[in-house]
Amino acid sequence: MTLRICRITVENFRKFRDPVTIDGLTDGLNILIEPNEAGKSTLLEALRAAFFIHYNANTKTTKSYAPHGDKVAPKINVDFTIDNAPWSITKRFLKNPSIEVTNPHSRAQGTGAEERLHELLGSTKDAGKKSGDTNSYGILGLLWIGQTEALSVSAPDLVIRETVSSILEAEVGAVLGGPAWKRVHDRIEDQYGQFWTATGKEKGRLTEARKAAEDAQTTAAEAKARLQALEDSFFDLEQARTRLKLARRDIADETDIQARKTLEKDLETARAAAQILATRRAEKEAATGTEKALTDLRTRHQTAFTAREAAEAVLTKARDRRRTVAADVIAAREKSVRTAETLEQARLAQRQARAALTEGKNRHDALRRHKAIAAAKTRFTDLAKLEQQLQQATALSRTLIPPDALATLIKHDKKVTEAEIRVTVGATLLTLSGDTSAVTFDGQPATPGEYSLTRDITIRVGDTELRLRPPASAASAEQDLSEARRKRDQALEDFGVSTLTEARLRNDRAHEAAAECRTLAARIDAATPADDILNLKSGPQALKAFIAGLPAENTVPPTETPDLPALSKAVEQADSAFSQADGAHQSAMEALRRLETEDAPLAAAEAGAQSDLSNATAQISELEKHPDFPTLTEALAQAGKRAAEAATALEEATRNATVHDQDTILRKIATIDARARTAQETCRRLETEIAKLEGTIESEGGKGLAEREAAAREAAEASEATLHRVTEDAETIRLLRNTLEESRRETSARFTGPVAERMKRTINRLMPGSDLSFSEDLALETIVRGDMTEDCATLSRGTQEQLAILTRIAFADMLREQGLPVSLILDDPLVYSDDGRLELLTDIISDAAKRMQVILLTCRDRAFRHVTGNHVSLSIAHSETTH
Amino acid sequence: MTDSGVMKLIHTADWQLGKPYGRFTPDLRAALTDARFEAIDTIGRAATEHGARHVLVAGDIFDTEGPEDRTIVQAVTRMERHPCRWWLLPGNHDFARNGGLWDRVRAKTGTATGTDSKITILATAEPHELEDGVWLLPAPLTHRHNLDDPTEAFDTTETPGARLRIGLAHGSIRNFSSHGETNNQIPPDRARRANLDYLALGDWHGVLRIDARTWYAGTPETDRFQNNDSGHALLVDVTPGAEPDITSFRTGRFHWLIRDWTVSDAAAFSADCAALLAEINAPDTLLQLTLAGITDLSDRVAILTQIESDLVHRLRFLDLRADDLVGRPTENDLASLDVEGTLGIAAHKLNALSQSDRPEARIARRALERLLVEYNREDQA
Repeated sequence: MTLRICRITVENFRKFRDPVTIDGLTDGLNILIEPNEAGKSTLLEALRAAFFIHYNANTKTTKSYAPHGDKVAPKINVDFTIDNAPWSITKRFLKNPSIEVTNPHSRAQGTGAEERLHELLGSTKDAGKKSGDTNSYGILGLLWIGQTEALSVSAPDLVIRETVSSILEAEVGAVLGGPAWKRVHDRIEDQYGQFWTATGKEKGRLTEARKAAEDAQTTAAEAKARLQALEDSFFDLEQARTRLKLARRDIADETDIQARKTLEKDLETARAAAQILATRRAEKEAATGTEKALTDLRTRHQTAFTAREAAEAVLTKARDRRRTVAADVIAAREKSVRTAETLEQARLAQRQARAALTEGKNRHDALRRHKAIAAAKTRFTDLAKLEQQLQQATALSRTLIPPDALATLIKHDKKVTEAEIRVTVGATLLTLSGDTSAVTFDGQPATPGEYSLTRDITIRVGDTELRLRPPASAASAEQDLSEARRKRDQALEDFGVSTLTEARLRNDRAHEAAAECRTLAARIDAATPADDILNLKSGPQALKAFIAGLPAENTVPPTETPDLPALSKAVEQADSAFSQADGAHQSAMEALRRLETEDAPLAAAEAGAQSDLSNATAQISELEKHPDFPTLTEALAQAGKRAAEAATALEEATRNATVHDQDTILRKIATIDARARTAQETCRRLETEIAKLEGTIESEGGKGLAEREAAAREAAEASEATLHRVTEDAETIRLLRNTLEESRRETSARFTGPVAERMKRTINRLMPGSDLSFSEDLALETIVRGDMTEDCATLSRGTQEQLAILTRIAFADMLREQGLPVSLILDDPLVYSDDGRLELLTDIISDAAKRMQVILLTCRDRAFRHVTGNHVSLSIAHSETTH
Repeated sequence: MTDSGVMKLIHTADWQLGKPYGRFTPDLRAALTDARFEAIDTIGRAATEHGARHVLVAGDIFDTEGPEDRTIVQAVTRMERHPCRWWLLPGNHDFARNGGLWDRVRAKTGTATGTDSKITILATAEPHELEDGVWLLPAPLTHRHNLDDPTEAFDTTETPGARLRIGLAHGSIRNFSSHGETNNQIPPDRARRANLDYLALGDWHGVLRIDARTWYAGTPETDRFQNNDSGHALLVDVTPGAEPDITSFRTGRFHWLIRDWTVSDAAAFSADCAALLAEINAPDTLLQLTLAGITDLSDRVAILTQIESDLVHRLRFLDLRADDLVGRPTENDLASLDVEGTLGIAAHKLNALSQSDRPEARIARRALERLLVEYNREDQA
């Protein structure tokens, strides 16, 4: 059964207020390219309204059909054919709703017309009640794909499903599992979860077992390594011991010792040969030396002889030449001798004259000085006198009592006088005469005389005692007097005078002395003038120092006064004589020198020749004294012979020494010694190593490493076995689970197989090598690409859309084959497709259009312009169209 | 030596002390280890009981050349508490070397503390006069792998005034081992060649008579699944000029059994099980059970269930090898699943795979078995 929409007219429907018509829709692919907002989607909506929405429905959807703000009746008219039978439907909504379905043979209106329509198309009856749900639009709802509706791979609605199921049920013949399936499936899933993650990675018991096995392997490997290390130590120890044994055997080996002995013997021989060589060398040197000495002697003798002859010749020649010059020289020399003598005499005279003059001057000076000294001495004597006087005068002037002191003195004296008066007035007089021997005054024997009593006194005469007591005033006056006197005397004593009168006298003298002092000082200055002759400065001190510095002895004063002018004249005469003599002498000397200059080289040549001659002669006689000289020729021949013999002997000795080379032998000995030393060192090293290894073995050996290793190894084997078992369990569960899954998929595939089968062709063009699975409700669920299973929901939007379209085509094909009317409308499809996919899908759609009508609404001019098909366009109908 | 001239000896070998038993659970491992030590006491008591003054241990006293100190101390202290003398021969497992195991053992014996030890370590091949005129010729091994015949020197070893010459060696008898071992092989007629009255050998873990004068004592406590007469020691009466009198006595605690059963159905298996349990002391038995045959899948499941829920708990240890017990699903098995649609499809797939030549056939068989188990568990669910 084919469904073909031929013509659509829409009026008062949403944006279409004026009637709009698409005409000339044919079988196959119809392409309507209009820009956005042109109303393509509105057109699809109108088509759905015409076919699926109840004409008198008053719902939100139907209300939305009216153009915004208008209260008009939306009207749709569609002409279509089913199996080439022409049909027409006209629907009017909201205002005076109506429906009319007609064909050439019948005409239906109202609800009957709706039923007729459903019959024709197989859509649900009450579509209007849940309008807006594309699922309720039936088969065509599935196939008429609005903008973006294709973006989700949604399942077809229940009716379709039932339709499809009923179609396929016979073919499938099996249903998905019941409760048994669920129980087993859940349990296996549960067990699967113990080993594997949802994505098939190891986990849980499997991971644990693997980890345990790996750990055990590691432990075993470690234990083995440790044991191996110990075993290596044992092995190394054994090796070291063997090597030590070998090394010790090497040390004990006689070969080297024997070889060394032989070498030492060789060394002795070599040393002897070397000794002989040295001797021969010395001998040869001696012989050669003797020969050389003799040859030398002869050569020297010959040389000296030649030299003597030469010297003799030179000497003779020199002497001949000198003889001519010699006479002149002698004469000149004699003359010079004479002038020299004259000069000497003149010089002597000159010297004497000068000496005399000097002597005279000296004597003159000395005389002057002597006089000066005598004068100084006189002055010094005067000075001494003056100074003495000055000293006395000064001392006297110093006795001057100062005026205030003198006043005090006068005062004291006056007081004494006053006190004396008072005493004399108050005293008692007692006169004693006669024999006074029996009388005592205060116990003291008394003498005759007069006593003035001024105090108590006891007088005894015999046994008679008289006590006299003067008046008290007398005693007091007496005391005052005494006191005054004491003070006066004290003052006098201070100034060294006994009475006041004396003090006054002394003061007068002191004043005079002070005046004299000044006079004396002036006289002293006058007595001590400066004296240039004596280099004496003025003043008494300089004079005193000079006198003190004079020698004690008094020089005898010169007696006569020299005649200085006479002496000076004599000097002048002597000087003149000297000058003359000197000139003569110089002239003579000049002449002599000239001659001598002439003679000098001759003399030198002569002397040189003479010297050479004597040298040569001396040498000859010296050489001839040599003991070998007399037999020189013979000795020389002999010496030559001996030297040749010595050379031969030396050659032989050298040869012998080379045969037994000491160095080579010593080297060989050193090698043997080094070998022995190395062996010793090896032994020591090995002993150290052995000790170390023994230590290691002792410490590690006691740890039971072998047992541990065996235990660890067996534990590893056991855990490996466990892992194997667990792995096997896991594999078993996985296989079971996957098999169950596969079975479920297969069942499902068998159910949806026909659709899938139909899609396979196109799917493989889209995604080569892929397979599909549908869910139990026929939704496209997964895509299987190789070993990968992908959930459709995770695919890209483009792919999802493409798959949705392909699914629709497959469903459409299937439904068409089942005799249902199908028509595919795609509103703005494939917007997410890349160019390659777009082309591919266009091809697939074109291909589908060979089997059914396809209406493609698009705004993408460039993408679809070139596609072969029936290109149609919207046309505004101004008049009622006829058909 | 008794008055009648009979020398009584205990001959034992292959104690393998310190064997780790790593594949077993820790408690079983401990039990097996202890049993090996207890065997020493059993032998010591037997020596006292039979009046044997000497125990000859023919090598492999220790399982490794480097056992734990505890292993050594246990061995030494257990030996020393019995009145007999112990003659220990280093074998290939516990070969003698400088600074090795036997130095450690010696350090733990009474000798180390100055007292006269009852233990003699025969680390060198020097003969020992056990008693007046009774000479022991030891052939200790000094390497893990000894290519030479260690007993060769016996022929020329002099034993002045010997009335009895007793050899003690460790190794396999030439042409004796079917495993083709080539190490330390001993010719079967060594006793005759070396004029030995008795040659005590170790290495083979079961009691084995080579000839009248040459015997293996085997290990006193079985240490692996092997069909040999292990778990014994030998009481040897040697009389000059006569063949020795050998008596084997039980020393082992654990029995290691190997059983290979061909099973046809669950009932037959149950019968076999019952028969086995009747003849063994299950708590001291370690069983290596190999099942083979083809049964119904349900029978196989039943058999495995019986093993897992009963037999394994009766025994000390069970090593089950049931891979060769093929459980074929019957038509009934598959038919019961067929009604379940998808499960049936899965069962058919696994069945087909299990009968294919593909490597996962075995896994498929198990998977099918599991599917049936899970399906039949319906009642318990």
